[in-house]
Amino acid sequence: MMYWVDVLMLPLWETIYMVFVSVFFTVLFGLPLGIILVITDQEHICPKPVLNAVLSYIINITRSLPFIILMIFIFPFTRLIVGTTIGTTAAIVPLVVASTPFFARIVETSIREVDWGVVEASIAMGASPLQIILKVLIPEAMPSLVLGTTITIINVLGYSAMAGAIGAGGLGDLAVRYGYHRFQTDVMIATIIVLIIFVQVMQSVGNKVAQIINKK
Amino acid sequence: MIRISNLSKVYTKGRNKVVALQDINLHINKGDIYGIIGLSGAGKSSLIRCINRIEEPTSGDIWVNDINMIDLNPTQLRKARKKIGMIFQSFNLLYSKTVFENIAFPLRLDKTPEKIIKEKVNSLLELVELTDKIHAYPAQLSGGQKQRVGIARALANDPDVLLCDEATSALDPKTTQQILNLLKTINKNFGLTIVVITHEMEVIKEICNRVAILESGRIIEEGNTIDIFSQPGNDITKHFVEQSQELPEEFLKGNVLNLSFMHGTAHEPVISKVVKTFNVDVNILSGKIEFIQEKQIGKLTVEINVEPHKLLDIIKYLEENHVRVEVMKK
Repeated sequence: MMYWVDVLMLPLWETIYMVFVSVFFTVLFGLPLGIILVITDQEHICPKPVLNAVLSYIINITRSLPFIILMIFIFPFTRLIVGTTIGTTAAIVPLVVASTPFFARIVETSIREVDWGVVEASIAMGASPLQIILKVLIPEAMPSLVLGTTITIINVLGYSAMAGAIGAGGLGDLAVRYGYHRFQTDVMIATIIVLIIFVQVMQSVGNKVAQIINKK
Repeated sequence: MIRISNLSKVYTKGRNKVVALQDINLHINKGDIYGIIGLSGAGKSSLIRCINRIEEPTSGDIWVNDINMIDLNPTQLRKARKKIGMIFQSFNLLYSKTVFENIAFPLRLDKTPEKIIKEKVNSLLELVELTDKIHAYPAQLSGGQKQRVGIARALANDPDVLLCDEATSALDPKTTQQILNLLKTINKNFGLTIVVITHEMEVIKEICNRVAILESGRIIEEGNTIDIFSQPGNDITKHFVEQSQELPEEFLKGNVLNLSFMHGTAHEPVISKVVKTFNVDVNILSGKIEFIQEKQIGKLTVEINVEPHKLLDIIKYLEENHVRVEVMKK
């Protein structure tokens, strides 16, 4: 039993560290990006068609690249920011780059779901665009945003395993080293069980939180 | 109070142009409950949205309280909008916030001190009789209750004008009546000017002292509600006024007259006098007395089978007695 704990503990911690730090930055960049995508639309509160088209184009390009290719492609950028391309911290850079556009699209969908009538009512009450974003769009879309964040966490977990395969550590690295190179199926199975538990817990927590804050 | 001059609104989508409003001129006095009625697609929603510039007019001027809304920059416009309350058909409440927070919302936009917010919201809740729902969420309220929250929210900034965009169209008749009574009370007690757009003639009859009829983006008739009701000037207006008085074809065989009794003639026995004076039979096909803002209008459809020259005498007699006559079929 202690053996499993020893083998799994460090990679699990590395994975959790990679996933949560990455998701933190993903939300930090992706939330404003998603909101900008909505409000700069021709029919929305801050129409800027050119900016909207350019952002949308960049997001589509980033999302076209499979994560493993994107990660290798931006090695120079990663080195520029963290000084290295190897290790858990280095993996956070490509993880954020890959999942920010993903999350931005999720935010975009959630924010678009907010009834236009409510936005119109806020405009009629004299709310500024910033007030509409902070006091109307985000609170009204919150349950949907929480679920979107849950999806993103699980998505980043998947990416992080790929990052692990090329030197980022974590559970992906563990599975490759023990399960693939050493044919230790038991470690492989243990890794899978840990991953399943992780995803289940994340999804249940996300659902519960969304349910609590949903007053509709 | 509100003066609209030469207002036009054209929607452009690609190469298609749709004219929603053309050359609208309106004058709404302080304390009016002004009704704008029209069929779907007549341009009512665009018109009311141009007043607070939720929709940008293509051309024209809109004066609210002697300020031309068209001249305002975004900051000034936001300030002006705070004095123009608005309620909606679909209520448009914030579903993530309680009744209290919904009504407090316009006050929080201006960082009003918490103590003042509390007092204001509580007094508004009393006005709309929802004090017990203060901590409820909109999803837990009925349609009528949601609209009352909408009204309280619209009044939070003590506006000079209240715009009502089909405010009762999603409600059942009884609830509609309650909301209309509330609007009447607010109009009386605060001297608030109210602009109502609707497709329901009942709403106009119930609360509006003045009415404009909108058709294909133009105002085709405008005036005091009582006058429009007693003497609708054209077909669309008649459609609204007389929608409940349509008779099947087979009833319209002889000389059918539509009579409108108003200004005190509604309670005089004019028909009985016609029968005695001209010695004719009058067959009453349908009739009713309507109350428009506590004034009566009698509507009667009758059939009189006499020679044409005698019919003309009867019509003359009726008109001398202040009954408006319309010949439907000879």
